[in-house]
Amino acid sequence: MTEAINAETLSATHILEYPYTRSVGPVIGRFLAGLRDRRIEGVRTAGGRVLVPPVEYDPRTGEPLSEFVEVGQAGVVSTWAWVAAPRRNHPLDRPFAWALIRLDGADTALLHTVDAGDESKMATGMRVRVRWRESTAGEIHDIACFEPEAS
Amino acid sequence: MAERCAVIGVGQTKHAAKRGDVSMPGLVREAAARALEDAGLTWRGIDAVVIGKAPDMFEGVMMPELFLADALGAVGKPIMRVHTAGSVGGSTALVAAYLVQAGVHERVLTVAFEKQSESNAMWALTISVPFQPPVVAGAGGYFAPHIRAYIRRSEAPAHVGMLVAVKDRLNALRNPYAHLRLPDISLEQVAASPMLWDPIRYLEACPSSDGACAMVLTNGDGAKRSPGAPAWVWGTAMRSEPVIAYGRDQVNPRAGRECAADLYGQAGITNPRREIDVAALYVPFSWYAPMWLENLGFAEEGRGWKLVEDGVTAIDGDLPVNPSGGVLSSNPIGASGMLRFAEAALQVQGRAGEHQVDGARVALGHAYGGGSQFFAMWIVGSEKP
Repeated sequence: MTEAINAETLSATHILEYPYTRSVGPVIGRFLAGLRDRRIEGVRTAGGRVLVPPVEYDPRTGEPLSEFVEVGQAGVVSTWAWVAAPRRNHPLDRPFAWALIRLDGADTALLHTVDAGDESKMATGMRVRVRWRESTAGEIHDIACFEPEAS
Repeated sequence: MAERCAVIGVGQTKHAAKRGDVSMPGLVREAAARALEDAGLTWRGIDAVVIGKAPDMFEGVMMPELFLADALGAVGKPIMRVHTAGSVGGSTALVAAYLVQAGVHERVLTVAFEKQSESNAMWALTISVPFQPPVVAGAGGYFAPHIRAYIRRSEAPAHVGMLVAVKDRLNALRNPYAHLRLPDISLEQVAASPMLWDPIRYLEACPSSDGACAMVLTNGDGAKRSPGAPAWVWGTAMRSEPVIAYGRDQVNPRAGRECAADLYGQAGITNPRREIDVAALYVPFSWYAPMWLENLGFAEEGRGWKLVEDGVTAIDGDLPVNPSGGVLSSNPIGASGMLRFAEAALQVQGRAGEHQVDGARVALGHAYGGGSQFFAMWIVGSEKP
């Protein structure tokens, strides 16, 4: 038989935090600088596909990518999920949709938010348009959200 | 061992305090693309990728293998990450070598990196976890007492560490990829530099660098088809031991001695001092040069400092150590071990440029990590074993 160990189990809180920095490189750097100027750019692969947001290396072949292409500021929702009760850290303070949005001229979809007001306004295949933040800084949140395109 | 293993491609970045011109993917890509070009291969010619970096907390990148797969042309291929603290660059190369030796893959790309400018290695190594002894202040704070113990035991004169610091920085001037370029370095300058962790002065410590290193390893058939003369792997060994254990000798760790003995046995080396032409040792603080010379059997215990003092380890000495300038001149932590392994390969290929050791035929690549508790080593030679 094992004898029970009669000892107090101690615990203590340990908070560890310090800042990191990131160099975005020439491709993501150009994309973010474009957002600052309210322009959305992707890159074209050797196979002709336009990737938005751009990546430095072709995910299929590994080749470096450098041919930038400006794409449209509106596009099609390819899939979405409704957030009925946003939390503190969500980008919008009212119910919204997370959505994958394929911008006009792009072959891939960008993850962002759609401010549709109500879930009933959301549909796969619907058209949405970018809404820029008032002041831009060169980051993805320069796109405040997307909103249903007026038909 | 079913297959021979050879290095047919070596690549590294220019190392610098901050490579703000490239992202992390761009940094590893730079080294990997150079290794491929050196091997006369394209991404298509690679069967698998083995990547290493030092602890996750350094850059806050938890899964570099996931983050960097497309930059390393690994889509549709196996990629894995190796992690053994500071020795990781060495152990990453060894895992790649094992994949070749085991006959699993014919051509393996191995890459290691650190982007210290985006990280916080000093403070990542200074955490004080509740109920555990703190590791004090960074790696220097941890290793300084071991160095003091070495000096006391060996009765080494105080200038030995400074001799190493000067020698490695002068060697670095011959290496176009080296981070530190200190053409005016002198014993007086080292002596006058601030004491960071007694007895380690500022100029006796490694810099913080951004950089990456890559190699292409292949089997005997692959080596036959490669455009240049390969560096043949004669032996590989890794050992580890606990960071804190009763009776553990942290100055001359048993894991390092046993790792070297295993390595020399595989490579048929009975007298390392005579049979090894050049050694690329992991020396982040100057005094680790004499300490590892003893641990690796190049000198008797307590006599390693004599090799330094007598000029034996100079680039024109009879056992050149770190002709590239070593970790004291470039320290992208995760890559630092692989840079030692790659330097050993370049030396026996006769391609080390201005820091080439004349007639180098057998070279040692060495890495250590953690609290002197992980060791990774290889011997490479110009001749097929």
